[in-house]
Order: sequence, then structure tokens, then C-alpha cells
Amino acid sequence: MVTVTIDPVTRIEGHLKIEMELADATGGALGTWQLVKPVDAAGKNGGAKSSGTLFRGFEIFLKGRDPRDAWMITQRICGVCPAPHAMTSTLALDQAFGVEDKLPTAAVLMRNILHGAYYLYDHPLHFYILMGPELGVLAKYPPMVPPALGVKGISSINLGTSYAAAVEHQRRAAEIVAIWGGKFPHHMTEYPGGMSVRPTVDRIATTFARMVGIWEFVAITMQNDLNAIVAQNTTITNAVNSLIGAAVGLDDIGVGTGNFLSYGLFPDYTDYSDWIDPKKRDKSLVKSGAWKKGDTAPGQTGFDPDKVTEDVKYSWYSSASGLKPSVGETTPQKDKAAPAYSWLKAPRYDDKVYEVGPLARMINTWGLTWSGDAFKRVHPVTGEDFGNVSWTVLNANGSIVDRVAARAFLSLAIANKMFEWIAALKSYLNDPVVEYKDVPDTGSGLGLWEAPRGALLHWLEIKGKKIDRYQCVVPGTWLFSPRDDKDRLGIAEYALSCGTTWLPKNLDVPAVANAIYPAADVDLSAWGVAAKQKWGDALGIALTPHGLANLNMEPYTGTPRYNTSLALAIIRSFDPCIACAVHIITPEGKRIVTKL
Amino acid sequence: MKIKRRDFVKLAGVIGAAATIELYKPEIMEVFAAAKDYYHICWLNGAACTGCTVSFAQATNPDVVKLLTSIVVGNDDTKVGTARLGIRLPDYMETLQPASGSLAEYLKDNVWKNATSGKRILIVEGAMQDAGWCKTGGSDFRDVVEDAAGSADVVISFGNCASFGGIPGEYGNVTGAMGLQEFLNSVGVNKTVIVAGATCPGHPDHLILTLADVIQGIIPEVDEHGRVKAFFQYSMHENRCPFRPYYDKGQFALKPGEEGCRYKLGCKGPVTYTDCALRKWNNHVSYCVEPGAPCIGCAEPTFPDIPGDQGAFYAELPNLPVFLGTPVKTWGEALVIASAVGVAAHLVVRTVRKPKKEGV
Repeated sequence: MVTVTIDPVTRIEGHLKIEMELADATGGALGTWQLVKPVDAAGKNGGAKSSGTLFRGFEIFLKGRDPRDAWMITQRICGVCPAPHAMTSTLALDQAFGVEDKLPTAAVLMRNILHGAYYLYDHPLHFYILMGPELGVLAKYPPMVPPALGVKGISSINLGTSYAAAVEHQRRAAEIVAIWGGKFPHHMTEYPGGMSVRPTVDRIATTFARMVGIWEFVAITMQNDLNAIVAQNTTITNAVNSLIGAAVGLDDIGVGTGNFLSYGLFPDYTDYSDWIDPKKRDKSLVKSGAWKKGDTAPGQTGFDPDKVTEDVKYSWYSSASGLKPSVGETTPQKDKAAPAYSWLKAPRYDDKVYEVGPLARMINTWGLTWSGDAFKRVHPVTGEDFGNVSWTVLNANGSIVDRVAARAFLSLAIANKMFEWIAALKSYLNDPVVEYKDVPDTGSGLGLWEAPRGALLHWLEIKGKKIDRYQCVVPGTWLFSPRDDKDRLGIAEYALSCGTTWLPKNLDVPAVANAIYPAADVDLSAWGVAAKQKWGDALGIALTPHGLANLNMEPYTGTPRYNTSLALAIIRSFDPCIACAVHIITPEGKRIVTKL
Repeated sequence: MKIKRRDFVKLAGVIGAAATIELYKPEIMEVFAAAKDYYHICWLNGAACTGCTVSFAQATNPDVVKLLTSIVVGNDDTKVGTARLGIRLPDYMETLQPASGSLAEYLKDNVWKNATSGKRILIVEGAMQDAGWCKTGGSDFRDVVEDAAGSADVVISFGNCASFGGIPGEYGNVTGAMGLQEFLNSVGVNKTVIVAGATCPGHPDHLILTLADVIQGIIPEVDEHGRVKAFFQYSMHENRCPFRPYYDKGQFALKPGEEGCRYKLGCKGPVTYTDCALRKWNNHVSYCVEPGAPCIGCAEPTFPDIPGDQGAFYAELPNLPVFLGTPVKTWGEALVIASAVGVAAHLVVRTVRKPKKEGV
């Protein structure tokens, strides 16, 4: 058996190592392609293993601190998704301070606006900068390939146009976070019971001005680019079929278990009571839910926070397994023998392997077809109607293209909502922004929100006006979890072992691209290359001066070498954010949170 | 080189930091454009949250698009890969680079390390830790940094974690997190770290101006903590805060959302040295204090704590109002006023954290 290791996996947050045990070789027109060893029907025995490799130690910092500091410290768990950590922590604080049912409407609106802008920074950033390059290469779509040929590449063959536009776009969206939060990353204006920032005409106007360009990017550019990628799916499927005799398209890659968990996002500011109970959350923009494989409509399987448990058989802990996070006590064991291979615990919901993240949010809110008013495209200034868009999920168990589409569609739904929230806030200019309360002597609170990568939980307990206990269960743990006590793979491991993750042997990125797109039609004459080039050769010409001729080949030199492009696309489709927290109590009773 | 040698960070100190990058934008661009050979950057992430990378991506003038399209591949686009501008996309940067796995490691260990002597810049984000807590590419991060710093011609720390231990080095520090200078001293690598970004996260302007200086062979003047003086020499409270008139009038915000000086909300401006209030963040739209929050002192070596003790972001500084008119200037002075115990604690912390001054 051959094992291929990718370490470090780049264009993600944090330190991640992936190992893939390969099944026997399959011959093909271009030579051998090998498959990552597939899982069996019970979700066991797949070839992929994921392990996080950094440990920081968060919870011990929090113990003894003023509870109001918690949201500022915990947002520094992750600089890519700091705002969701701040929000989740603040929701837990709202509850612990006993003010969650008294939030001023102005504060609810400002939270929605700040965090809406945050999502409009994050989803496009992932769509283009982190995930986009693989999709651009795979779909022969130059706008999403990084601008490796510079300004002239942008102007003459559109190489990197959308990529470059996305860099500017994310900055504009982050400016809105800064308008309401002081700066980004690590904004400053949350407070238990509300916000510390006031709505002003200036803040509202500057937000609106920036939102116009953001809306255009999300509603037009991003949708066009998604369509361009999807339009190549048939070509890709047919090409792969002729190469290896398996009709594998973008919707057959990175397939998950079909179970999707969402905690909900963006409360309805006209009915905040709907938001407070996480089992309800029907009126929020994104609903809570625990969609089970085979479900046909949102709400069929409701979410119950009590059904979350965490296993540790394959994790470097010696404490009991299968506990609920609220009572989970975990002792780290650095030298725990194999089969343990990760600092991450294995969270499971209702004893099943669940996927969290963009697709889980969409499916729990809109089901398997996303359409309607949320996805209208009426220009906020000119009123021009670009037509509604809709999406029918291509693979009900999840796939890389459905995950990408989910980011594009949620971005559009949020961009539309932002204008509603901004307009509504004008009526609250003189209203209170916080239901102020002194730090309580004792209390506890649960915060449930969504980071772009998926469901995020914070829980804290206050004693003597100080933090006594703090816990987070974060999306990275759900997604990159190791095997559980029943030996079932975590969701990303599962998706890598779903039976379609091919690693072409000794075939580099240009060779595979040439095989999928044999036409020589890329015009590089602006660089003095006379003949038109095949897509793969053009990529080779662009990549080689950057030292990237062996991109994604593992190892980069020698034989055999395996092309890991598909595996990387699958890993990145989950938007790994390995700055995730796992909760530890040392034998002395000290608590720490580990950053993996 | 068309422009005369300019010390941009010094200008930032004289003119006012926010203005510098705007006034001298063409010149700063020229610095990147004029150097005859690539500068090679290796950007390493240790015990980090990646916030400093994200912050860098918010840069303006030049922005990251400019870096990617003009600076990386050169303004001479007549030939593929003709790269004649002064700085290129980092050879190694886990969060952004196209390559993964063994190719990524190769680019670091060969391309970057074997680049022309004098041209290798190492930027570190995130804290250093004791052995065993952080691994990347199969190696302990300590070894990765020790090795890279040994080769680097200029070593820059970006963000409070890399500079001083920051969040992982917080009170109760379980992984032995520390700043880069302290780490290099402890393993005997004789290099001086330029603290280009002391804040949390690092400010993109601070890094870009520092790089513009370094590329011209100018090593910016630094303070006793290694921080680039031009950015970190003035007190937020004394010299920079637009809400200072409220303080002088004794008009204080007592609850979030109220108008007034943020001092009683726990603002650490009086003991924090940074140009945030002038420069602002995210294309200069705002900064922490503006939308009603207290400064939490993230540019200081003790962040997020107070010397010798656990910090509290919303706790008022000790005894400052007693000394209205002659406010305290450092954590040390604040604690001298507070208690003798505080002084002792302060000394302990400073001894541990203060970087040794050694030659480049």
C-alpha cells in the first residue's frame, strides 16, 4: 500500500497534515491513476487521515479573567474567522448576564450589519483566493486562476481578473466591519447586552456606499464565475470518463455523509425571541437544523444542542469518550499510542457523522433547491433587475461544487439583506445600543452561531465575577475530526475516501489539464509565444518561472509522484480553519483550550 | 534608482504616519520597483491565528493586488516570467502560496535560502513555543525558525504574538510562548529582530513601510522593545487621541455607547505607544477607540495582560485620575503609583521579556 502525505496543506488557516492510503492502481489512457482507499458502507476503513499540528492553550488564559474580555480573547483563536468567535462568545455572555431577551433592536441590527459584512469578506475570500485556483485550473477558467502573468496577463487573457477583484472586494467588506467595529481583524465593539458603537448617519451612509460595489461583486461577478465553472462540468466528466473509465464530475468529488448541521445565523430583528431558543430559529436568515440523510425538507430533523457528543479514541487524550461538551472533561496525553493520531476530538451529532459549513446552512434553510426572493438580483441603486438565480443541489450528500455554490448563494442572500438592515437602522439613531448590566457574581451561557466554516459553540460559566470555565466546539473540529469510537471517519476524511479521489501517478497539473482540454487555443502572443497553446501548456508556461512546475505533485521530485490536486480541492472545499479549540482539563483540574 | 534614499519610517514619525503613506505613495512604489534584484520573503506562521496575514491583505498603497500583479511578476510584461521588480510574492507563506506539501518546503529550503545574500527577508507571524507544540512540514517550528533566521539577512516580527508572545504568551502561558527576539537569544542565533508590527493584529502599513526601508538598506531605528520608533514612540493618550479634549474636561463615557473619553471604560491609551489614532485601520476608516471601545493596549509587550498579572480590558488604569495633568506614561509608572508589589512584578516581567541588544 502506498501512502501519500501532504504536509503542510497550504491556503488554509493553521497547520494541517493529510495522509492518504491509496487503493490498488487503475490503468487509464494516460497511465495509472490511483484512488484514495474508499470507505465501506459503515463509513469505516477509508484511506484518509487528517491531523492538526499546533497547540496553543486558550482556556487557561480565560480562567480568572473578567467575563467581558472573553469575546476579545476568543476572537484571537482565529484571525480568519475572528468575528464569529466574538459573536458566539457575546451570545453566551448575553445569556450569562441575563440580558439576552432585552437586547435593543439597534444592537441586533448593528450586529447583523457588522457580521453580514464579515461574511461578505469571508465567503468571497475563500471562493476566490483559497479554493478558486483549483477550480479555475480544473474548469479552464482564467479569471479564477491567480494572476501569474501580471498586469498583461489580466488585460490580455483575463488571467486572474476575478482573483484580483476579490482581493479588493474583501478589503471593501472588511472596511464595513471596521466602520462598526474599529478595525478588522479583531473588531472591538461587542458588549454583553448589545454593542458599544452607536448608529450614526455617517456610519450608515459609508456602509451603504461600500455595499453597492460589494453587492455588484457578489450578485454579478461571483454568480457569473460560478456559472462558468459549472458549465465545464460535462466536459470534465466526459474527459475523465475517457481517461479512466469513470464518469466523475465536480459533483461526484468530495462526497460526504448527507447529514448536515446548522445552528442558524442573523436573527430577525423584528422578532428576536425566535432567535433565543436555538431549537427554533425559524425566522433568522439561516435556520438551525440537523438535516439527516434522506430528509426532503428543512425542519424535518430539528436541532437539539443536547445531541452533541465528542469521542477521543483516536485523539491524544486519556479521558472518557462520548461525553457531551457541557460535561466533557479531557486529559491530554501527548504520548498516547497509535491508533491515536490527532489533537482534535471527534464530535458527533445524534451518533452520526455530520457535515457543518456553507452547504449545511443552505440545506437546513432552503432544502435541496435554493430559489426565491432571497436570491433576487435587483440593483440597490439603479433598480436594474439582473434576474433571480437558483440552485438545485447537484449531490444531496455534498460535493465540492455544491459547497462552492453554497458560499456564492449565501453571500447573495446576505448582500440583499444588508440593505434592509441598513435602511431599518435609520429609525434607531437615538435608541439605546446596550442593555447594560454589571458583571454577575455567577452565571452561565451558551452561544450558538455559525463561522463561515460551520457551526460554532461557546459555553462559559462565571463564578465570583470571573470566568470559571470556558468551552468551544468549533467547525474545524467537526470537519477535520479523526475517526470516532466506532472507527467511522470524520467528514473531511470521509469525503477524501468517498471513492472518487483519484491521484494521477506521475502526471503533473499541465499534463492532466492538456488531457481534459486538448484544444490549442490559449493566446500567449503578448509574451512572444507564437503558436497558440493548450490549456495545460499555458499553465506550465505561467507556473514555471514561479518555481511551480511541480505544483501539487507529492513528492515534488523523484518517482513515483502523485498529483494531489483533487485531494487538495476536496480539503479546501471545507475551508479548513485549523485554529480550532479543543478543551482540556489537566489532572490537577486546570483547564486549558488547545489550539490545533 | 530614481529616487533619493528615503527613510520612510522616519518620515512617518516626522510628518505623521497616516500622511506619509499617502504623500509618498509613488515613491514607496518606486522603492519596490527600482531594486535590481528580487528580495525574497519567507513568511512563517507559528502559534498564530493568521490575523496578521489577513490584516496584511487589507493593505492599501500599495495593496496586495498591486503586489501580486505588478510587483510579483514585474512591470516588464513582454516576456513570461520576466521579473525585474524589487520584491516578489513570498517564496514561502503557508496561508497564500500556491504550492503545498513537499514543493512548498522545497521553495523555502532551497529557493529562499539560496537566494542572493543580502536579499533574504524573514517575516514571522505568531509566537514561538517550547518544543513539541507546533509542527510544520514535519519539523518542530523552533527548528524551522532557528534554521531560517540563521540564513535571513533581515528578520522582522509582525504582530504582538511574534514580537512578544502575545495571546499564547498570556498569563497562564502553558506552552512557553515567547517573542521571536527572546527565542533567538535563547537558542544563540545572533540576529536583531525588527518589530515592524507590535499591534494585534499587525498593521499592514507598518510592514509595508518597514519593507520599503529595508529594501533601500535602511534599518529603521527601534525602541528598547525592538519596535520601529516612528510607529510606536508616541503615547496614544498624550499625543494622538482625538478624544483627548473629553479627558481634559473630565467628560467620561461610563457605559458603552456613551460619548466621552473612554478612560473609565478601561482604555489603555495612556500606557500604549502606537499611531493607531492617526493612521487608523482598514484603509484608514476607523480604529478601536472611535466606535466607543477602549484601547486594549495591544502594541505593548505585556499585552493582553498587565505586568505580572492577568489583564482586564475593561478595568480602569490604577489611580490615573489622581495625577491629572501629569498622567502616567508607562505600565511601570502606573504600577509605581498603584503598589510596590506591582513594581516588583513589573520588573520581573521586563527582565524576562526585554530583548537583548545584539549586532545584526
